[in-house]
Amino acid sequence: MVQVVFSPKWFWGKDIFIDSIALLVLLSIAIFATKHYRIKKSKNYLYLALSLYLIALSFFSKILINFTIYYQVLHTQVIGSIEYTPVILKSSEILAVSGLFFYRLFTLLGLFMLYSIYEKQSKANIILMVYFIIISIFFSKEEYYIFYLTCFIFLGVISNRYYRNYKKNRENTSGMLAASFSVIALSQIFFMFVNFTKHFYVVGEVIQLLGYILLLVTFILVLKHGREKNKSRHH
Amino acid sequence: MEGKRTRVDIIEDMLSSILSKGGRIKPTHLMYKSNMSHVQMKVYLDDLVQKELVKKVKEGHYDYVIITDKGNEFVQKLKQMREFEKAFGL
Repeated sequence: MVQVVFSPKWFWGKDIFIDSIALLVLLSIAIFATKHYRIKKSKNYLYLALSLYLIALSFFSKILINFTIYYQVLHTQVIGSIEYTPVILKSSEILAVSGLFFYRLFTLLGLFMLYSIYEKQSKANIILMVYFIIISIFFSKEEYYIFYLTCFIFLGVISNRYYRNYKKNRENTSGMLAASFSVIALSQIFFMFVNFTKHFYVVGEVIQLLGYILLLVTFILVLKHGREKNKSRHH
Repeated sequence: MEGKRTRVDIIEDMLSSILSKGGRIKPTHLMYKSNMSHVQMKVYLDDLVQKELVKKVKEGHYDYVIITDKGNEFVQKLKQMREFEKAFGL
């Protein structure tokens, strides 16, 4: 049986809101990177933009799955035919399961692409990694925590790379970026244990929200610093 | 040792040089301040004029290169790009 809904019922809708914020933060940075790729034609900008678009797309898939399921369950309750709920859920099972597959696939591909910006990969490595990503998603169908464990490992390695960058340049924004990715990595640990209690899903979502807010603040500071340095040079 | 300057680096150096002189500079000074040859500068300057990032004006006996609002905005974008590259380690 594939587990699709992880959220406790009282948290329905709130998780969609949190995921929408993550989606918007990722899209903002991805659009910025795309614009600057057009100016500089640097492949790093292109890969960064693509990886963030992929992760944003994964959030979009998750939002779509949750919205469909929550809406259908709540809708059947409102009209007073709760006994039909499982039947309706069954009819949308294909959408939910395929949506879940794409959510996991886009997340892991996006994280792998982000990682590959800093650790250059040979073509053979890329093929191998994509194979292992698909295998891990396949096993995640039954054992969902494998997906979150894989995310945690990717995010941990990426956070470490950003921390090393911070140690090298001592820029506040680099440190904040490392912190935001570490917080997002931390949230994956809570998602791993969702089967013990669904409250872990809530804690994971809240921590993830903090991580994305920190990422947004970092991005705003980058834009602000650029402006300030320009002004001070001009005067 | 610093690597070879990219096209964007050269444009940034040129526009920053103009800004450091208050937004207005003589072409010869621009050439020295941006570390460019005469031929190289002509090509880049024509390109910047065509893109309306700078304009050439004649004041008295002298030619000047003036940065436009669009040029100012472009420098701002480039500075943000540098900050972004530093933060993300690109």
